[in-house]
Amino acid sequence: MKKLFALLLALVMVLSMTACGGGRTEPAPAATTPAAKPAEANSSTEAPAAAGGFEADATIGVSLPWLGTQNWKEAEEMFKSELEAAGFKPIIQAADNKVPTQQQQIESMIQNGAKVIVVGPIDGTQLGAVLEEAKAAGVYVIGYDRLLENTTGVDGVVQFGSVKTGELQAQALLDGLKAMKGEGPWNIELFGGGPADPNAPNFFKGAMSVLQPLIDDGTLTVVSGQTDFTQCATMDWDNSKAQARMDSLLSGFYSDKEIHGVLSPNDGIARAIITSCEQAGQEIPAISGLDAENESVEWVWSGRQYSTIAKPTDALVAQTIEIIKSLQAGNGMPATDVQVKNGKIDVLVYELPPVVVTKDNAKEVFANDPGRLALLK
Amino acid sequence: MEDSIILQMREIVKEFPGVRALDGVTLEVRRGEIHSICGENGAGKSTLMKVLSGVYPYGSYEGQIFYMGEEAKFKNIKESENAGIVIIHQELTMIPELSITENIFMGNEIVKHGLIDWEEARQRTMELMERVGLNLNPNTLIKNLGVGQQQLVEIAKALSKNVKLLILDEPTSALNEADSANLLELMRGLKSKGITCIMISHKLNEIAAISDAVTVIRDGRTVETYPVEAGHVDEDRIISSMVGRAIENRYPPHESHPGEIIFEVSDWCVEDPNVPGRMVCKNSEFHVRAGEVVGFAGLMGAGRTELMRSIFGHNYGVFHGGTVKMKGQELALPSVSAAIEAGIAYVPEDRKNLGLNLLDSIRMTIVSANLKAILRGRLLDSDKELQAAEQSRKALRVKTSSVDAGVTTLSGGNQQKVVLGKWMFTEPEVLILDEPTRGIDVGAKYEIYRLIHEMADQGKAVILVSSELPELLGMSDRIYTICEGSITGVIDSKDADQEKLMRLMTTTSDTKS
Amino acid sequence: MNKIKKVLGDDLHKYTMVIALIALIVFFNIASGGKMITPSNFQNLLSGNAYVLILAIGMLMVIVIGQIDLSVGSVAGFCGMVMAIAFQKWNFPWWAAVLLGMGIGVLIGAWNGFWVAKMGIPGFITTLGSMMIFRGAVIWISHSISVPAPSELKWFGAGHLPEWGPAFTGMNNSTLLLGIFAIAFVIYAQLRQHARVNELHTNKEPLWPVVIRIVLGTGVIGYLTWLFGTGRPGTSFPIPGLILVVLVMIYHTITQKTRFGRHIYAVGGNKNAAALSGVNVQKTYFLTMLNMSFLAALAGIMFVGRSTAAGPSDGTSWEMDAIASVYIGGAAVSGGVGTIMATMVGGMMMAVLNSGLMLLGVGADKTQVIKGLVLMAAVAFDVYNKRPGHVSITKRLFNRNSAENKEGSPADKKS
Repeated sequence: MKKLFALLLALVMVLSMTACGGGRTEPAPAATTPAAKPAEANSSTEAPAAAGGFEADATIGVSLPWLGTQNWKEAEEMFKSELEAAGFKPIIQAADNKVPTQQQQIESMIQNGAKVIVVGPIDGTQLGAVLEEAKAAGVYVIGYDRLLENTTGVDGVVQFGSVKTGELQAQALLDGLKAMKGEGPWNIELFGGGPADPNAPNFFKGAMSVLQPLIDDGTLTVVSGQTDFTQCATMDWDNSKAQARMDSLLSGFYSDKEIHGVLSPNDGIARAIITSCEQAGQEIPAISGLDAENESVEWVWSGRQYSTIAKPTDALVAQTIEIIKSLQAGNGMPATDVQVKNGKIDVLVYELPPVVVTKDNAKEVFANDPGRLALLK
Repeated sequence: MEDSIILQMREIVKEFPGVRALDGVTLEVRRGEIHSICGENGAGKSTLMKVLSGVYPYGSYEGQIFYMGEEAKFKNIKESENAGIVIIHQELTMIPELSITENIFMGNEIVKHGLIDWEEARQRTMELMERVGLNLNPNTLIKNLGVGQQQLVEIAKALSKNVKLLILDEPTSALNEADSANLLELMRGLKSKGITCIMISHKLNEIAAISDAVTVIRDGRTVETYPVEAGHVDEDRIISSMVGRAIENRYPPHESHPGEIIFEVSDWCVEDPNVPGRMVCKNSEFHVRAGEVVGFAGLMGAGRTELMRSIFGHNYGVFHGGTVKMKGQELALPSVSAAIEAGIAYVPEDRKNLGLNLLDSIRMTIVSANLKAILRGRLLDSDKELQAAEQSRKALRVKTSSVDAGVTTLSGGNQQKVVLGKWMFTEPEVLILDEPTRGIDVGAKYEIYRLIHEMADQGKAVILVSSELPELLGMSDRIYTICEGSITGVIDSKDADQEKLMRLMTTTSDTKS
Repeated sequence: MNKIKKVLGDDLHKYTMVIALIALIVFFNIASGGKMITPSNFQNLLSGNAYVLILAIGMLMVIVIGQIDLSVGSVAGFCGMVMAIAFQKWNFPWWAAVLLGMGIGVLIGAWNGFWVAKMGIPGFITTLGSMMIFRGAVIWISHSISVPAPSELKWFGAGHLPEWGPAFTGMNNSTLLLGIFAIAFVIYAQLRQHARVNELHTNKEPLWPVVIRIVLGTGVIGYLTWLFGTGRPGTSFPIPGLILVVLVMIYHTITQKTRFGRHIYAVGGNKNAAALSGVNVQKTYFLTMLNMSFLAALAGIMFVGRSTAAGPSDGTSWEMDAIASVYIGGAAVSGGVGTIMATMVGGMMMAVLNSGLMLLGVGADKTQVIKGLVLMAAVAFDVYNKRPGHVSITKRLFNRNSAENKEGSPADKKS
């Protein structure tokens, strides 16, 4: 037996060290060409359709992280209806926030012959090998809503400007403080999103670029002193964790103080914070949000949550589908002026602007969204 | 006439795949008697009782049961209990972490307004305990009771169900002499109150002491059934019908040839691991010669098992000092494996909990204490294992279709042979047997005795710990007695009798002879 | 019936799960229009599940000794993260970072083992603690941010054997060589065993069952070789799969053929009896727990290789997948029962279900529901089959005389 193992190991080692001097032809190393020249980026031998596009009824894979928040559920439904409307065959799967599941789902999409795979990653850094596999199989990979990092296997990313979103959140918070809490100085607390999501630090960075000067000049006081992203982050965007943190902040620092405002990275966390404040007997603070979830739209309308930010999922989906159509027609990736380094290559990024929603402008913002408009009663 | 018969089982046949466990058993029990059922292991006694109590529901067997004059068709235990038939099993079935009251009314709670009326339950428990002669706080947890007391609680529980026919399956197998006597006394008391008892037992002296009638079952058939007068029972008649042959001598004849002293223990002191300060071995000293069978007598809790297990690689208790010499060489025995290495083997008293891995096959059990012997290089060799197991099976005459069969398929006697085989495979110099014949039938006992003699003849030192004094007298060359952790005496068995031993076993002075 | 037994051995029961697995694969292949049995999907099956199956190897041993290890996911995540950080931030060479990660795994195993073996704390509690400790620790040391892994590791986590030699074979020659090697081994092992049986036993075995076994083995291996070898050029039998196969062989030997392996089963079957048979129970507990964390570290590092980065939530709920594989493979909760091979079949059941349902486009939510049902069904089936007196379904399939077997239990013969 021992000899057998030794032999086997030796065999593996020899094989792995041998230069690949024969055998079947290997495909050209995939996607090492800069993404700036998208049409050629996929000109490997294994992707014959690259230059000439692909069939109009091709299979399109959409891999989403999960369906636990409204925006992802909306994305799922919109991708399904709009891809079908465009004549494609969509496969849409959500991975229950588990990285291995998402990896396997992407593999099964390759297996199912998808020409384009749209990936809303759970963790944008952890899909490297499978995305490169997709590339090698001649599949286009488009990141959705979050950047795909640390891999060569990505053609472009569609997202809202995340730093910009953060700036808007901070601005909304300041507006809220002025509107609700009179003159400063104000006591505030900061919350960040899920640290595994590359957008979360960017939101925070954007927000801090607005807030930091005011903290420095004393207009704003972070009573707990917790201003680092890692201190403020909310693991997995988990509302209950945010609420627990808010509970302890309130009991630890605000027993004799009033809290005026909170920076919240999304709506679920904003509602958790508001609930926590109410339970602690505090006045509702001015707060920011994100995603314009139904519940929060109602809260904004009723004045419980000062603001949210709409990242209209339909715009994001529409942009993605536009890219897919361009690829189908053989025109390659559309042009864009934003490029972001993802650790391996420069990735084309298609940024969309987000919109701040308060009670004042809600009706205008949702004018074309009958579902949400119905909430404004 | 019919009135006096409480139970009649006619031509009961129960089949399992490939086996006819019961092949036309007939049993008749009169009202208010103590009826003993005897038979070797595997004869079908327990199966018969399971048929009676509805564990095997009506329809899964052939034949008829008449109980209190009507045909009984029990579909489950609940139905038979409602009719007043209660079985007390060999393995006690109470929940150790609950109190006496809770156990007695388990599944039969006294409920008032949807809640359990504990006051009432405790009151009733007190009354029931009085009837079985227990004087305890009803809130005492079962785990704090001795086995004998637990048995009495079981009977109290049966009484709470208004029992008319009480079945006791090997009731004294786990009890010491005093508790056994107490239990038998209680059975007489129950009888006087009109409760009928069926007792399954191996212990002929007990059967003889209290039975009004005896039924002997062999190979799934009733061999004979006859009324007896308590105290005047012919034990040899029972034995011969149980085994189908007359046994003149329960102990095989043997001439011993003791040689040199090969095993010596001196100044052995061990403390109880649970009760600090209580010594379970007090300066114990003894020796065994090659080819000698040395008995150890003592009452329950005297410290016999504790002494043996502490010698066997400090497997029990807190070691406080003492030496073990093998052939004059002092041994350090820090672990069980060191003890095995040194040539000591210990067959524990509790076969199922300490002696066997019930998941193993016979083959794996035989080699389990000496895996080194079947190594080839660094891997176990299944061929060597098979050879070892086959040899053992032949030498010990284990009744099984294959050595790959699981040990649970064996009867108690054959299981014990397998355990012996496992220890003989370690090729010990000193073999310690702790209650090697407990719970096994007469025929198997005889074979175990012969094996003990064989080992002695091979020059091994055999230590035999037993609660049955006739067994010690019949088998040993010399007998040590232990009382409360001290060795109180040693007698040549030629000069010993039960009275002498009992006197030494109950001498509490620390003087050593 | 008898002929089948002569070929496959007396215990046909153990093949039930294999048959179920093959049936499942065939079912999905038909349902997905031939996408299940393809080279790339089989490669994915192994690459994508190797880490769970490696955990399941260790978990089987832990469950056999009657314990459980809930910390494997966290430990895998932690060791992967330490490895990535050592490489990224402390500038370790990649191999030193891997060794460090494995070393940390062994240390954590020793920690778990210490509490279980020396202090007698149940594994469930000990590892519940470790699960929290190392989940927290991985977030702590990573500041909740993913860390890129050394690119060399991709080979371990998702790599393939090289292409070489003549092209006319039409397949990956490395895979072909492995296949030939495996077939040669099967033939050698069968003939050798045959020779030994006839040398030692009185009832000689005829040659024909051996020949059939060799033909069967060659057929299966040959088919798999072809399947794995004819993927896209550049792909082969995947490296993680190869690592898994080597580990399975090693651990199968350890559990079935060594004293330590026998001790594991003895301790799990009856701890007290094992102690009185000279087994060092504490040492067995300690080594088994230690080994589990070692394998967890390996699995974590392989996963990081495949993911190209170590993430703060790596390993979440992996322990549950590993435990499920072990139980589907027929292990007993109370310990003492279970084999590596059956566990691998159990793990592959889960993997095939995952893969098949994804190919059919079933969402992760429904997949979870189905997996839960399959776990229950498999265990219930196993319990039913093992219950004495019930005729096993395999037996029913094979045994024409099953009508003779009536309800009842042979174990009840003894009275």
